[in-house]
Amino acid sequence: MASSEKSSSALATDGDPRPPGQPMTVEQHVLDKGAQILQSLKPVKKMSQHACTFASYSHDMTRQIETHHYITRLNQDFLQCAVYDTDHVHGRLIGIEYIISDRIFEDLPPDEQKLWHSHAYEIKSGLWVNPRVPGIIEKPELENLVKTYGKFWCTWQVDRGDKLPLGAPSLMMSPQPVNLGQVSPELLHARDRKYNISTEALRASRVEFPEPEWINPQADYWKQHGKGFAIDIKLTDMILRAPFP
Amino acid sequence: MSSTHPEVPGEPTKTGTAFLETATATIQSFAPINQIHQHLCAFHFYSYDMTRQVEAHHYCAHQNEEMRQCLIYDSPDADARLIGLEYVISEPLFLTLPDDEKRLWHSHEYEVKSGLLFMPGVPGSIERQDMEKLAKTYGKVFHFWQVDRRDNLPLGIPQVMMAFTRDGQIYEDLVKGVENRYGISVAKERENRAYISGPTHGIHPLANGGAKGLKTELREVDCKPTDSVPQGLCLSIN
Repeated sequence: MASSEKSSSALATDGDPRPPGQPMTVEQHVLDKGAQILQSLKPVKKMSQHACTFASYSHDMTRQIETHHYITRLNQDFLQCAVYDTDHVHGRLIGIEYIISDRIFEDLPPDEQKLWHSHAYEIKSGLWVNPRVPGIIEKPELENLVKTYGKFWCTWQVDRGDKLPLGAPSLMMSPQPVNLGQVSPELLHARDRKYNISTEALRASRVEFPEPEWINPQADYWKQHGKGFAIDIKLTDMILRAPFP
Repeated sequence: MSSTHPEVPGEPTKTGTAFLETATATIQSFAPINQIHQHLCAFHFYSYDMTRQVEAHHYCAHQNEEMRQCLIYDSPDADARLIGLEYVISEPLFLTLPDDEKRLWHSHEYEVKSGLLFMPGVPGSIERQDMEKLAKTYGKVFHFWQVDRRDNLPLGIPQVMMAFTRDGQIYEDLVKGVENRYGISVAKERENRAYISGPTHGIHPLANGGAKGLKTELREVDCKPTDSVPQGLCLSIN
């Protein structure tokens, strides 16, 4: 009925990245402002890092996107990220990524591990950056992240022109130093120009970051198995406790 | 300045890490996050199993008057777990969706009129101004972390979630829980919201799963052949 890799052609796309809809009314702005003053929004205030990196769709790794992660650390081994397509005011919420240490990853069952991707290459190659943060400050955190694994579900396929979030979530994969995992030069240069940085220079500065002793072969599943994953949504009978709907 | 989480495996955050994160939080631009202006408390159930119900704390930002995007946490606390997300769209936008897509979205009319959906800390008279709009909207929710089955990590595949649509579906305990914690009365707010109306064209018959459950499944697919990928930079890390 719905799948992550099938697209609905019914909605026209015109290149405008903003979702359809009327601009916010003054009344709504006032409401929002009021809420903001009265409410504490604690979990959101705990987001402490912005990272810019790249990912590809596991069901079609030729489709690569730039991503913006807003990251909360829950403990030394676990981070949770709200992922957007840009770091602008109108950034679209395109998914969620979870990041865990290698220690926690090794305890997962193999069927779970295959949904995760490694971060070592992404970080050491300079693809993952914390915009505007000097290298010396980001270094300890990156040395920690180098050994982590991530699980990233994308719920809005903006790169294929979807004006609204359609279909099932897609599992995303990280850049890797082999063919399907390489980030396109156009995408990379666009990112570097925007932040006036050089991924090449970052790679050089990260050369001495310790590498993980090994990367679990269940992660980055496509590398060893040549397979990606799609999610299908199927109709079924609902277990009820009252009539529905 | 270390932090830990009672239910997520892992060591407490080291002081050095916490310090770094204070620095990055000060220097960086958080523009999309700064748009999050609203906390809504609501309840979802798994779209194939109404007996599994979850309290869901939404933190919402407007893309425009007709569309919101929300992060969903399992609690309103600083150490809350990010368990999912929701998109909310107006009735006109909903009607533009292909039919198969409509099934993945749920109506909000009952949640609003019953008093189950509320904005913690916001007085009813202000809250109702937004409730009038929300009653006509549709939402699409995925959860990635099944905290109700005590998973201490986000295991498995995404779950489509539904919202309640009539009396008798939600567990009374869940309702009493928020009433006690927030000092509110859902029944009283229901009376206050009696004047609120739902979608202009009525709840679409394909919304809410089209009255069916929805189950997600994982499927392996073949990777594209490698020569379909541009050669690109080979960023060797050695």
